[in-house]
Amino acid sequence: MANHSTSHPTHVQHHFVDSDQQFDSAKLGMWVFLVNEILFFGGLFCAYIVYRAWHPELFTQAATELNAFWGAVNTVVLIGSSLTVAMAIRSVQKNQIKGLKINLLITIALAVVFMVVKGFEYAHKFELGILPGELYTYEGIEHAQAAIFFSIYYMMTGIHALHVIIGIGLMWWIYVRANRGEFSSEYYTPVEITGLYWHLVDLIWIFLFPLLYLIE
Amino acid sequence: MATAEVSNTRTLKVKRFKPSEDPKKTYLTEEKGLWSWLTTVDHKKIGLMYLGSVTLFFLLGGVLALLLRTELLTPAKTFIEADTYNQFFTLHGAIMVFFVLVPSIPAALGNFILPMQLGAKDVAFPRLNLASFYIYVIGAIFTFFALVNNGLDTGWTFYTPYSIESNSSVIWVTLGAFILGFSSILTGTNFITTIHKMRAPGITWGKLPLNIWALYATSIIQVLATPVLAITLLLLTMERVFGIGIFDPAMGGDPVLFQHFFWFYSHPAVYIMIVPGFGIISEVITTFSKKHIFGYWAIALSSLAIAFIGFLVWGHHMFTSGQSAVATTVFSFLTFLVGIPTGIKILNWVATLYKGSIEMKTPMIYVFIFLFLFSIGGFTGIMLGSLAADIHLHDTYYVVAHFHYVMMGGTLIALLAGLHFWWPKMTGKMYNEFQAKIGAALIFIGFNMTFLPQFIMGSQGMPRRYYNYIDQFTIFHQTSTIGSYILGVGFLLIAYYLLVSLFRGEKAPANPWGSRGLEWQATSPPDLHNFDHTPVIINGPYDYHKPMEEFQLGLADSGHNGHDPSHDATGAKQEVVSN
Amino acid sequence: MSGQNHEHHHHVSTAGQLWAIATGLIILTIVTVVVAKFVPIPAPFDVVAAISIALVKAFLVAAFFMNLYWDTKFNAMLLIMGVAFFLLMVLITLLDTMFRNDIVPSF
Repeated sequence: MANHSTSHPTHVQHHFVDSDQQFDSAKLGMWVFLVNEILFFGGLFCAYIVYRAWHPELFTQAATELNAFWGAVNTVVLIGSSLTVAMAIRSVQKNQIKGLKINLLITIALAVVFMVVKGFEYAHKFELGILPGELYTYEGIEHAQAAIFFSIYYMMTGIHALHVIIGIGLMWWIYVRANRGEFSSEYYTPVEITGLYWHLVDLIWIFLFPLLYLIE
Repeated sequence: MATAEVSNTRTLKVKRFKPSEDPKKTYLTEEKGLWSWLTTVDHKKIGLMYLGSVTLFFLLGGVLALLLRTELLTPAKTFIEADTYNQFFTLHGAIMVFFVLVPSIPAALGNFILPMQLGAKDVAFPRLNLASFYIYVIGAIFTFFALVNNGLDTGWTFYTPYSIESNSSVIWVTLGAFILGFSSILTGTNFITTIHKMRAPGITWGKLPLNIWALYATSIIQVLATPVLAITLLLLTMERVFGIGIFDPAMGGDPVLFQHFFWFYSHPAVYIMIVPGFGIISEVITTFSKKHIFGYWAIALSSLAIAFIGFLVWGHHMFTSGQSAVATTVFSFLTFLVGIPTGIKILNWVATLYKGSIEMKTPMIYVFIFLFLFSIGGFTGIMLGSLAADIHLHDTYYVVAHFHYVMMGGTLIALLAGLHFWWPKMTGKMYNEFQAKIGAALIFIGFNMTFLPQFIMGSQGMPRRYYNYIDQFTIFHQTSTIGSYILGVGFLLIAYYLLVSLFRGEKAPANPWGSRGLEWQATSPPDLHNFDHTPVIINGPYDYHKPMEEFQLGLADSGHNGHDPSHDATGAKQEVVSN
Repeated sequence: MSGQNHEHHHHVSTAGQLWAIATGLIILTIVTVVVAKFVPIPAPFDVVAAISIALVKAFLVAAFFMNLYWDTKFNAMLLIMGVAFFLLMVLITLLDTMFRNDIVPSF
């Protein structure tokens, strides 16, 4: 930090000494935020674990209402989008702005596919009367707490989906900025930290998938 | 010739920068007008805006407290209805906890001081910093909405299942607290990053001021605990909107699980409130003892230890909730562990005083008040942590007295110490020392008069929150109420002389207390970018045995921040820091 | 000090590396489905198997997509700390919820 460059590149904010310090700070800040996210979802995972430990039979019964095939498809879709985000970062690191933009668009498309699949899953359940909590009217599961399983399911997947939607917005914002020519191999901090966010969304889903869909 | 291990590879040219006693430009004069304040990304102005808001909320919460105490003057109804009383009670708690104590030291004083102590120009993410302030304001507005709408009668803990059924504005207040949580998270994220990445040359982890260590520990708690509050409050809102049933016994859910979630945040949150206070005490006690801090690493690491242990003990709020006997036993044991790092701190502070040249200025008086009150608060906490005693004392005034001794006797007194300590730096004005001492005395007397009787009546069985009480408690309640009036007068006096100092106060020198802290090497009030130069640190922040010159070094060619490098450098002495 | 490693450059993964990781993740997804649906594992261990596979996948994402493998150790430490505190929350909560039947039955 002691090393202060004589001329500031335009993307370096005044309170940073150099580009590296700014990049590292942004990345560290993002990681701290990701820790937040882990504990935010952690509360839901905790509720899940407590209820699964209490009522293992409920989880086996209720999970049959979830479609493992579409869950697996969505897993693959998210992994694909993680790949394209990583490729986007690689592109910008190599100053290939076109590659960056194409990869961002593919990521957005995959995220939309994820949301569409999720939407069909939700719609199907709504038809059956599988709604969270008090709104639950489905009679196919013989368990007093069946509604609670789906409350947990909706909370977990719902908040995850909210993160996906926010991710789509962020990707779009990065795409717009890339279009304006703001990024280069010298400066791509927002791309990098948005990428980190997107990978976390993927990480959460990696755990949600077996915990919700693959209970036998 | 000063030498230091600034880096293994670089040699820095440094020279002495003596802070100007009469700064031409300060952060207060350089950008003026209301708009410049509202849109500022300057950590100092944001800190002051926080301080202003916290003060307003403190006034509100304080007035509510005085109304409650007035109502308790007589065993039956004195002047307000039971329901109003109940809602005032919740509001007092919610405002004081969420709007005053949590942001008070880190967001108000911390924002101002932290970058200065690191020799940085600003925090790592100045715009996020401003955002966190506005998020705080929005959270406050939500709560006001709830206040004027139809109050809140669940207590600040929002325990289910009552909070699911209550007709008062639970959703609005939880939303307010949820939003407020984001503000807290952003501040914590910002501080952690700033401490890691923005330190001036020479500030190694071993030369970090203890205030920074305390803020660091606080930020870690904020980051790890606050998201759990967010998800808890979100689940509670969903519980009210959709009846998701996770916490609702009527649907086969478990209300005690809510308490686990809630206290997983809210117990560490009491350390969010108190740990930064510890940092202030460390700064003030060395400055006014003119002596190196005793046990630097013990104090620094005990902050982190408290932060960690603070996550293991939440269940001691739930001893009578119906949680399992195994859990209560473990929680009780773990609770005692908190006493160890806290005891280490107290011991080291007292040892710092030993053979120091103690100067009884107002901040130092508050330190002594802190040591006295906080020790009482801490020890009674140990009593409450022991299982059998807690069954008797749970939900009595004993608990009320305990946490007021810790939160008010600890955090608020530390805040007052810090406020009086850094006031000259923040405003460039000195307050009236005599009036300040009277104020401190009023606070001390009023505080003990208010809360000592509560220990006694609590141990005799007076439950907390009650609107009426039996005659035998009258004398305690009346003493307590009179004490609270004295306390109120004390705070009014403080507000009075601080305001007067703003307009008619003596001009503050750059370093009125002779502190070795880096923040005192800026002008009073500081420059917009804190320092005109890039400070270079070769000594620890408490090396009072070393001459002041060695604390006033900066990079000799500090031209990169857009300032004339030498316009107030008095010593042109060139030094080469080698190694 | 933050600026000491000025020789450090941002790591750039090759396209081959990234594709390999993604392929590995998809194979693991198939494995976890197959294990859950067609391999009969007795009660608690099916969860153990599913979570173990998920952990491997999570490691791949964190280490190579999120670049933690090449990044400063502190960022990895943050991730581990987040997970550790989550586990702490779960384990201590289970200490209550799993032992609700009192040790002293008549109490």
